[in-house]
Amino acid sequence: MTSADPGEPGGHPADPAVAKMLRWYPRAWRERYGKEFLAMVEDSLDGRRPTWRLRVSVAWAGLRERGHQTRLTSQKALLRSLTRGWLTFQVAGYLIAVLPSEFKASPPPARQWQATAALGVLTAIAAFTGVALLAGSVAAAPAFVRYLQAGGWPKVRRRIAWAAGATVAAGGALAGLVLASLSESFSQLNGSPTYLAGVLATSLALVVALWLWTSVITTAAKRLDLAPRVRKAEKILGMVATFAVSVVISVNVIWYSAIQSSVFQLLLGLTALAATALAAATKIRLAARSGRRLRSASGRGR
Amino acid sequence: MASKRPASGLRRENDPPLLILISLADGPKHGHALAKDIAAFAGVTLGPGALYGAITRLEERGLIEPLGSDDRRRPYQITSPGSAALAAALADMRRVTRTGLARLGLDGGRA
Repeated sequence: MTSADPGEPGGHPADPAVAKMLRWYPRAWRERYGKEFLAMVEDSLDGRRPTWRLRVSVAWAGLRERGHQTRLTSQKALLRSLTRGWLTFQVAGYLIAVLPSEFKASPPPARQWQATAALGVLTAIAAFTGVALLAGSVAAAPAFVRYLQAGGWPKVRRRIAWAAGATVAAGGALAGLVLASLSESFSQLNGSPTYLAGVLATSLALVVALWLWTSVITTAAKRLDLAPRVRKAEKILGMVATFAVSVVISVNVIWYSAIQSSVFQLLLGLTALAATALAAATKIRLAARSGRRLRSASGRGR
Repeated sequence: MASKRPASGLRRENDPPLLILISLADGPKHGHALAKDIAAFAGVTLGPGALYGAITRLEERGLIEPLGSDDRRRPYQITSPGSAALAAALADMRRVTRTGLARLGLDGGRA
């Protein structure tokens, strides 16, 4: 804790165990309410150690405050956001679990071109998205280096440690799942409640790891001093990556329809693809327009 | 819908913002004094997280304001919009209470 932190106000050093509880709150909140909050906690504890119940309730309140600041204004919104991520992983996990068995199946000769085209598009999208993500990272790199040189590392160090820990845990769970799947047949795995529980737990661990990395990136990105044209580029590249996921899912459906010779699935995949393309075009146009506004506002400010 | 907020922006009974406004209605108080007062008049124990969450929202909405203090214990006072919102919420509650008492046929059930 720095000397400017609310834990040590005006010659009244706060109990470190109590002061530690403040870390759950966003920085702006700590600066505004930290001192009086700690005073209140100390008054109510009257020299006793904070109980676990108190720690948990304060941690939850701090997370809610963070949620409020990021426009997740209620527990429901926070839960909705986590559930949405979790469901996405369930769908992706299902596809990953089902597709390998389908790779062994060949499409009927009449549909061979469709499967080949779908796989070609998937490869192209993977390459294109990879390049987009790389370009985004390269564009933001100078600002990130400036941020670290200006003393930013301590501000993200702990988050990075948490995210790395969660990634190791999720990677371990994933490796365990893969090892388990090698020793049993697809039908055995499909009927195994233990395997299902493993899949659910692993996907949850992956969501948490991704969420923590997102938090690292968001925290750093908020403090980066990006030039308006870089901001515009980042906005568009971010959207490209988001829409690539939707395109991948749609193309997977089209590929699967070739294996199954299903016209219904083909139509479903094509409709999803068209809807994604339409939404992407609109969003990217809006992002470009808002980027232009950013640039002109910045030009006027000079 | 049951969860719809009334026009005053305050919910009923054990809503921490409402309890804080009631507590501040008779004068400024700091966090610990608020918690003790609320426990005394409403029998509700507000933890620091819940209390300061509510204080933050009330201050954002301009219903309470902090007073200057050299101490770490910063007192808050209710503002004019806060008094108006509290009066509206209490009037709502009184109407509901009267209706309930009247339907039970208990004394005080009529206005």
